Amino acid sequence: MAQMPALIPKEVEIQRLKKIWLMIIALGSIAASVEVDNFVDGSLHQTSIRDSAFTPAHWWLYSHFVALPIGWGMAAVYDRKVPILRGPNNSMNTGLKMTILGYLATMFTIGVNEMWHFWFVEEIFAVPNHWMFNMGVVVAFIGALAYVVRIYARLVELGAETPGENPYIAEMYKMALEGKLYSRSIP
Amino acid sequence: MTLPKGFGSGGGGGAGSADVERMIGRRVENMGVMITLAYIAAWLATFGGTAAGYFYYPWAYPTPSGHFAFIVLTIIESIGYLFCMKVTQEGSQKKTNGLIAAPMATIAVLTVLITMFVGN
Repeated sequence: MAQMPALIPKEVEIQRLKKIWLMIIALGSIAASVEVDNFVDGSLHQTSIRDSAFTPAHWWLYSHFVALPIGWGMAAVYDRKVPILRGPNNSMNTGLKMTILGYLATMFTIGVNEMWHFWFVEEIFAVPNHWMFNMGVVVAFIGALAYVVRIYARLVELGAETPGENPYIAEMYKMALEGKLYSRSIP
Repeated sequence: MTLPKGFGSGGGGGAGSADVERMIGRRVENMGVMITLAYIAAWLATFGGTAAGYFYYPWAYPTPSGHFAFIVLTIIESIGYLFCMKVTQEGSQKKTNGLIAAPMATIAVLTVLITMFVGN
C-alpha cells in the first residue's frame, strides 16, 4: 500500500492526530482509574458495607462510566477533522464506534445494576447484571486498541512518530504499512 | 489540494502557510502550561475525592483504602501527564523537561506527606 493520499495538509493532520492522542491519554487514564476502583469497590462490598448507589466506591465507578462515553463521544466529534480516520462509507471509525458502544453499555448498566440490587442486595461478581459492565468494557477496550493502533500507524506513515529502533520491529512496521505483513509471516 | 470552505485563495490555489496555521489553531507544542494546570487540577480533585473518604465517610471508605487509591491514581495521572507532555513536545525545539519535572516532583512529595499525615 502506497502512502495514503492526504486530504488535508500534512502539518495540520499531524497536529490534529496529536490532539486526538492527548484525548486518548486522558480517557485511558480514566479507564485505568476504573480498574483501580474495580478492586476498591469489590473489597469494600466484602468488608464494610452492603451495596448502595450512595456507596463512595460506587460513585467513583459510576461517574467514570458516564465520563467515558461522553469523552469518547467528544473524541468522535473531533475525529471528523481527520479524513484518514473515517470508517466504512464515510461513517465513524469502526474502533471508535466499538469504544463508544461499549462504554454506553456500561453507562446503561448503572441503571440496570441499581434496579437489580433493589431486589437482590448481595454483591456476587457473576450475577447477570454485572455481565454488561464487563462485556462493555472489553468491547470498548478492543475498539480503543484498534483506534490507537490506527492513529499510531498514521503518525508513523507521516513521519511524526518513529517506529521501534529494533530493526526487526521497524521491518514489521514497514511491511504492515505496505500491506505485506500477513502474506510474509503466514505461509 | 482541496481545502475546506473559507480557506485558500478561492480559485484552486494551494494552501499557504497562513491557511495551514489557521487550520491548526493552537499548536500542541504550546499547550504545555494548559496540560500542566490540568494535571494539577486532576490531582487536587483526586485528593478531594479520597478526602471525602477520610473525613466524611470513614465508615464506608476506610482511610487506608483512600490512601491506596490516592497513591495509585497519582501514579496514573503522572504517567498520563508525562505522556501528554512528551507527545506534544516531541519534534519541537522547546525545552520543557524542567516544566515537567517540577510539578511531578512536587506532587510526588506532597502525595507521600498526605498519605503519612492526613486522614483518620
